[in-house]
Amino acid sequence: MKRKHQAIAALTCALFALVFLGARKAGPASKPKGEPVRAKIGVISIITGAGAGYGEAITNGFRLARDEVNAKGEVLIDLKVEDSTGKAEQALSAAQKLINSERVAAILGPTLSTEMKVVGPEANASGVPIMGTSTTAKGITQIGKYVFRNSLPESLAIPASIGMAVKKYNLKKVALLYGNDDVFTKSGFDTMKEVSERLRLSILTVQEFQKGQSDYRAQLTRIASLSPDGVFCSALYEEGAVILSQARKMGITVPFVGGNGFNSPKVIEIARDASEGLIVATPWFAERDDPKVKSFVAKYEKAYGKKPDQFAAQAYDALHIMANALKAAGSADREKLRDALAATKNHMGVLGKFSFDADRDVVMDPNVLIIQGGRFRPFR
Amino acid sequence: MPVEWLNPYHLQVGSFLLINVLLGVSIYITLSTGQLSLGNAGFMCIGAYTAALLSTKCGLPIPAGIALGAVLAGSAGVLVGLPSLRLSGVYLAIATLGFGEVIRAVAVNWETLTGGAVGVAAVPQMGRVLLANLADAGFAPGDAGLRPNQFIALSVFLILLAVTALVIAFFLRLDRTRVGRAYAAIRLDEKAAEAMGIPVTYYKVLAFSQGAMVSGLAGALFAHSTSYISPEDFTYHRAVEILVYAVFGGSGHLLGSVFGAAALTLLPEALRFVSDYRHMLYGLLLVLMMIYRPQGVIDPPLLRRLHRARAEEAP
Repeated sequence: MKRKHQAIAALTCALFALVFLGARKAGPASKPKGEPVRAKIGVISIITGAGAGYGEAITNGFRLARDEVNAKGEVLIDLKVEDSTGKAEQALSAAQKLINSERVAAILGPTLSTEMKVVGPEANASGVPIMGTSTTAKGITQIGKYVFRNSLPESLAIPASIGMAVKKYNLKKVALLYGNDDVFTKSGFDTMKEVSERLRLSILTVQEFQKGQSDYRAQLTRIASLSPDGVFCSALYEEGAVILSQARKMGITVPFVGGNGFNSPKVIEIARDASEGLIVATPWFAERDDPKVKSFVAKYEKAYGKKPDQFAAQAYDALHIMANALKAAGSADREKLRDALAATKNHMGVLGKFSFDADRDVVMDPNVLIIQGGRFRPFR
Repeated sequence: MPVEWLNPYHLQVGSFLLINVLLGVSIYITLSTGQLSLGNAGFMCIGAYTAALLSTKCGLPIPAGIALGAVLAGSAGVLVGLPSLRLSGVYLAIATLGFGEVIRAVAVNWETLTGGAVGVAAVPQMGRVLLANLADAGFAPGDAGLRPNQFIALSVFLILLAVTALVIAFFLRLDRTRVGRAYAAIRLDEKAAEAMGIPVTYYKVLAFSQGAMVSGLAGALFAHSTSYISPEDFTYHRAVEILVYAVFGGSGHLLGSVFGAAALTLLPEALRFVSDYRHMLYGLLLVLMMIYRPQGVIDPPLLRRLHRARAEEAP
């Protein structure tokens, strides 16, 4: 009997010991002249859990870029990847670990805007530059002067796609449809509404749906009855593809404009013919005629056996931006790195020309694409 | 010279651990009258939103917001507890689960107040506010040999530690009072308890609202330590997680839930080094637990034995 609780006590001790070990000491490296800049960069990503698909693409993008940068030899980057499981608390613990135990020079990630809103203030208070590569919601870089992002925010993507669609199809009356229980789709909708009001479009109806819903006929019937010129739909591709196919079946043939989350080759896979005519704005266009893009796609496919999506592309560019900043800073000092990052101008990456604005937010031209003949093509 | 061994990462994990311990306590209280409630995530949500909104929109001091959050969650507990009393066992579990989802749906849809799915950002964080206030009074964390982020993490941890210790002490004490005895009697046999003259309804509602209040307190503290909340934080996954604390640690004694919450918060952190497999190991451990020790790690017989062993060692 006694042995049994001794065993339990031992188990508990072992647990605690496991947690408190693992803290390793390594100060930020400084470099003598001529030596490469060495830096430890932390990555917070979703490795396990529901969003692991995004996390995988993102970490793949980072790793591919790291290998390129390290092969060049001017900057040597050591990536420390931590899992957030998509939960804000886990992301915060991971960030604390990277900042205080691993002593990273900067952090890339986390994946979700909800995670960034928890992690950002902490990194900012600790003076660690942090760059989101997939956080598109409003108010991310406003957290503080150490918070950056290279992911195209909705506030840039949506005006571009809506603007072009309105011009081309002469839209006057529109219907809005969005998922109201997801930060991403909700904040996309807020931007759609704002842009529609600015362009003086008359909004006939606003319809909501929830994540994981499979029947949208109630909302679509209402939309069909008002016969709008176009539908603006803020959805992730899982829901979006189903909405499109149901809408087309119900005879809603007007143009659909989607948000950034709608932009996935999976839409074509799921909705097939019904996806024709969907217009999205995206930072990433895999078929752009640019040697950089082509070589990235080829390398990525070779290394991971699939085509890179926008998350992989954004991660890839982010790491290159980070490496350039490290080179410019000349050391892995967090303060110098922050200033060098903020000074990033006209970086030519696979997403095109990229700069940070005064708020450390994105300056770039989004690609507006339309699905035609079963693939994304530039929309003109 | 800063105190190097004081790592904010460990303090951060410790802070979440303490919040989870509070949640573990909250489920234990309702379980101690034999009621299975899955509404604790909902009560936590009420507490968190109340505290967050009061401090961001009304500028109320943080402690007042936290107290009001706990009280409001407790009152909601009374309101939900009264009608739910007609239910027991799995029916109560489903009703309370439904309640939790309703609260979350309110948080998603009442956009003007709660910000919808986007949530409430820039909730003042306890440690940072304390640091700012102390800085006004002329204190710098460097005076105590701490870096600012060490000071912030340490102060949050200590505040949570104090609150958690008080709550645990209160409920340990409660176990030995008339109320605690009544809870135990109701759990063992509700009819017999009633026949003995125990006002069953009163005590069941009391336990329910106490549990709700502690959940609300945990939620309010959560909001002020992460500085951002959204409805995603209070899904039914959270409710199940809270229940697992009690089941894993042992629902027969308060310390069981406390242990369960602590162990299950540390485990995923401790397993970080196996990255891809950590949730698999976590699940495996739970399954093994249920096979070999279905009553949970800590149960009253174990505590009694520990107690006796200590008594024997003493001369």
